[in-house]
Amino acid sequence: MGSFRDRTAIAGVGYTPFSKDSGVSTLTLAVDAILAALEDAGLAVDEVDGLATHRVGDSTPPWVVAPALGVPEVSWYLDQFGGGSVSHSVIGQAAMAVAAGVAETVVCYRAINARSEFRMGGTGRAPAPIFDMQYQAPYGYFAPPQQFAMFARAHMNAYGTTHEQFGQIAVQQRANAVKNARALKRDPITLDDYLASRWIAEPLRMLDCCLETDGACAVVVTSRERARDLRRTPVLVSGAVWGGGDSFFSGAGSAAYGTDFTVTEAARMAPRLYAMAGVGPGDIDVAELYDCFTYSVLVQLEDYGFCEKGEGGPFVESGATALDGTLPVNTHGGFLSEGYVHGINHIAEAVAQLRGDAGDRQVDGAEVALSTAQPGYVLAGTSALILRSDT
Amino acid sequence: MSLGQRPRPEADRDSAPWWAAVRRHELIVQRCEDCGTLRFPARAICNRCRCRSYEWVPVQGRAKVYSWIVNHQVFMRSMADEVPFPVLLVRLDEGDDLLMYGNLVDGDAEDLRPGLPVEAVFVDVDDETTVVHWRPC
Repeated sequence: MGSFRDRTAIAGVGYTPFSKDSGVSTLTLAVDAILAALEDAGLAVDEVDGLATHRVGDSTPPWVVAPALGVPEVSWYLDQFGGGSVSHSVIGQAAMAVAAGVAETVVCYRAINARSEFRMGGTGRAPAPIFDMQYQAPYGYFAPPQQFAMFARAHMNAYGTTHEQFGQIAVQQRANAVKNARALKRDPITLDDYLASRWIAEPLRMLDCCLETDGACAVVVTSRERARDLRRTPVLVSGAVWGGGDSFFSGAGSAAYGTDFTVTEAARMAPRLYAMAGVGPGDIDVAELYDCFTYSVLVQLEDYGFCEKGEGGPFVESGATALDGTLPVNTHGGFLSEGYVHGINHIAEAVAQLRGDAGDRQVDGAEVALSTAQPGYVLAGTSALILRSDT
Repeated sequence: MSLGQRPRPEADRDSAPWWAAVRRHELIVQRCEDCGTLRFPARAICNRCRCRSYEWVPVQGRAKVYSWIVNHQVFMRSMADEVPFPVLLVRLDEGDDLLMYGNLVDGDAEDLRPGLPVEAVFVDVDDETTVVHWRPC
């Protein structure tokens, strides 16, 4: 595992604009983001030999993207099934392919028309035939906000976590988005605004939920040596891990953690991640934590070791996670305020922070960043990256 | 009440006997014939000892509330006339790792609290389907 550390790098990132209606096909979004990432890296299409994405709902696969771009030969590709929980494993697997010499330059991307076409929020969509669903859907329970509301309530029950603490996450992230021209939501909000926003599924409100977004983002992964010859300062992949397997339906699958829904797969995986990167929670300068809902940020602050179990609420209230705090979190505004591209825009933001080009929201001296996937609720498993600047 | 328009359970080969029992208004779980561990949801193999032999055994149908939501958003148009409605996640008295979902009947969401005792209530949706809800007791 140690030999994988810092052997690969992110050499470029690219975006399409984020919107509520892109007006173009999902394929066009993917192509535009990939071309932008290659431009950022200073690479041409014919230097690409790998493509990787993941899919739940709307997506476009590598074998559609490659001929659309005119990639001459794809020597490695990945079309990973899964949603937010696998988002960071896509970059990890690309890095592994590069480290193994199977591919030299892999573009990882995620493209979705998640608002104008296939809505992530589920309106009008039949529930997916997933193992656990038969025991849940007949009760009107199948949408992600409902699932995360259930876990958020469990956390409130166990540790006294409050609505105001969830609200602080929304408020802090919006303040970051104000400084991000790419963000969909740039009007500042207050805790009162949060508390006045309508219920989606108690205990979660509208402002606890991420933004269904049309958009795409892409990240170029190559070897450290090759990245050093390219246009931008490389960002090294220090740690890339994924794993899991427990169902949060029944503790019958949770030999290690019993049936405590307030502990996620991230708690089990984090030690492997830190060991691989050779750092600890205290070394993380910036954390981009998967924020499909506010609660997922709070529980990851605990499970990645930034505070004790049950202390996520007070930790957020202390201001530690604000842009000027000890651990700035979701510096771009996150999925709650920048937009939701299913995980990859967290990685692109971490790259921006480590390259020092995050503008008004730049965290001074950011050298090590954590970027995480959905922490393992709903579909078991999670993934995460530790990135560092190549200094 | 739009109960009839809700998603139907899509039983699989492991769970078909469980849904058939619910149809008879019986609540059952699997018991490993080797190590005796009770398990739910339905699967053909024990994840403690990997034994494939099991029997279906009745449970009392009593449980404690672990968590809950009150759903307000209309995620399915066919359920628009039901919001807001609670969904409960309960632990059966026979074991903390025996968790089941269901709606609240004969109770007020305001009175929900962790550990609240509830009992199973069988509700026939139509001529083929029965679901399990939970009532404070």
